[in-house]
Amino acid sequence: MQQITLTINGKSVTAEVDERTLLLEFIRDVAGYTGTHNGCMEARCGCCAVEVDGEIVKSCNVLALQVAGRSVTTVEGLSPQRLRPLEHITTQSLAGVYKPLDALGADAKDLHPLQSAFHRKHALQCGFCTPGMLMVLKDYLEDNPEPTREDVRRAISGNLCRCTGYQHIVDAAMDAAQQMRVAAAGADSTADAADA
Amino acid sequence: MKAFTFLAPEALDEAVALLDRHGRDARPIAGGQSLLLAMKDRIARPSVLVSLAGLADLRGWRYSPSGELEIGAATTYAALISAQFGGWHGEISAVAADLADRPVRTMGTIGGALCQADPRFDMPALAVGLGASVDTASAGGARTIPAAELFAASGGTVLGPGEILTTVRFPTLGAFSGVAFEKFRQRVFDAAVVSAVCGLRLDADARVADARIVLGAVAQAPVIAQRTGRQMTGRTLTEHDIAELGAAAMEEVLPVSQAMSSFHRYQRELVGVLVRRAITRALDQARS
Ligand SMILES: Cc1cc2nc3c(=O)[nH]c(=O)nc-3n(C[C@H](O)[C@H](O)[C@H](O)COP(=O)(O)OP(=O)(O)OC[C@H]3O[C@@H](n4cnc5c(N)ncnc54)[C@H](O)[C@@H]3O)c2cc1C
Ligand code: FES
Ligand code: FES
Repeated sequence: MQQITLTINGKSVTAEVDERTLLLEFIRDVAGYTGTHNGCMEARCGCCAVEVDGEIVKSCNVLALQVAGRSVTTVEGLSPQRLRPLEHITTQSLAGVYKPLDALGADAKDLHPLQSAFHRKHALQCGFCTPGMLMVLKDYLEDNPEPTREDVRRAISGNLCRCTGYQHIVDAAMDAAQQMRVAAAGADSTADAADA
Repeated sequence: MKAFTFLAPEALDEAVALLDRHGRDARPIAGGQSLLLAMKDRIARPSVLVSLAGLADLRGWRYSPSGELEIGAATTYAALISAQFGGWHGEISAVAADLADRPVRTMGTIGGALCQADPRFDMPALAVGLGASVDTASAGGARTIPAAELFAASGGTVLGPGEILTTVRFPTLGAFSGVAFEKFRQRVFDAAVVSAVCGLRLDADARVADARIVLGAVAQAPVIAQRTGRQMTGRTLTEHDIAELGAAAMEEVLPVSQAMSSFHRYQRELVGVLVRRAITRALDQARS
């Protein structure tokens, strides 16, 4: 056993863990952020993707000890709003008026541009792959603000989705890229104004 | 996974001493992208892991005074991509950018890929194809090994237990006028079914002064197609010549008599196609 500290979504988490603990297990079982999914445990599906100091990794293929002391962002860190616990989602209510954002007490404007684009463009069905898709695309779009559809497909080549057929995910990524460019331009002009 | 102790030395000599002390039970871990998969399946069961991530000497790259490109063994693919090397060294960045996937490239290292020595991986074929060599350190001392001799014909590397690969050296920009790495894989993030590397130098009359052709994934270690390489020298290559060279490489590397299964026959066809593509692209680069 070895004691380690990681910062997860800005919060410092210290625990004594078995050396074999994967970063994925630390995030889910020790820190309690279950948004990061375990889909394969062999670096194939991408459901477990998180950022470590701003760089994307598959957390099922990294030991927690390899990233001791570093700062991790999970899907919960994308829009740090407090979501209401889910109470009344049943198959019945799903079939009727399913308003996922309402159910969570969330506001669309507080979502990360990728999250709101996924919502608008129907980029998820079961949602199992979504946390990984969001994290990989966030990392990718921040470095590549003007991708082609082909670029986006390559960026998510390590992420499997068994539901959507990927089309809507690519649509959402293109849409989010546009929103992120607008936001970045806005931030630049605000900075310029402040400089002047 | 079997239980292990995790050690994180901060200097190379410390890492060498730790590996020496723990002998065959110890294994270096760089990015862990191959090793952790093997440990989860209990194919690898080290009882001590010595992390190379904290060794500053093993990260980054520099040009030696003679112009060789020296890349630290624990340099990640992501770092190789952002390095954007000049001249033909740029092919190293391009290859790093087109393998595995974005998250794996954050962790995976060039030295890890060479030491894992999976014949379908790109870096082994690239290193042999471009005439690289590697420096190693161990309790027994340091040595330099040409990449062509690093890989054992029966698979794996010739490194001893506890021997750390420290640097991968690529020759000077003058060594080649054009290089190209080509591969074929079923899906973007699969390992190569076949890969081919061509490195060539042209003389003042645009004739091939010397050339190397290397194939990956067709045997347990990268294969140098020596005969095909020799056939190229002294000639001004036309499209027709390149087609013949592709066919020659097929005969040399996977002759019909050895291509018994349908998979090997498929690989044989790919050798022809990829060698043609690699020569064409290397020539284009050399002539431009
Ligand atoms: C999902 C996935 C897809 C992939 N796709 C591709 C692909 O398309 N093409 C491709 O080429 N590769 C691919 N790879 C393989 C990838 O290139 C390697 O896993 C990676 O580069 C290994 O580097 P590492 O630093 O993670 O090595 P580790 O896993 O840390 O180590 C691998 C082995 O080398 C030893 N070792 C590591 N560094 C040293 C050193 N400096 N000295 C001595 N021994 C050392 C370790 O002890 C271990 O035995 C893929 C991997 C994954 C997980
Ligand atoms: S759980 Fe990590 S890639 Fe599938
Ligand atoms: S939405 Fe179900 S796996 Fe992608």
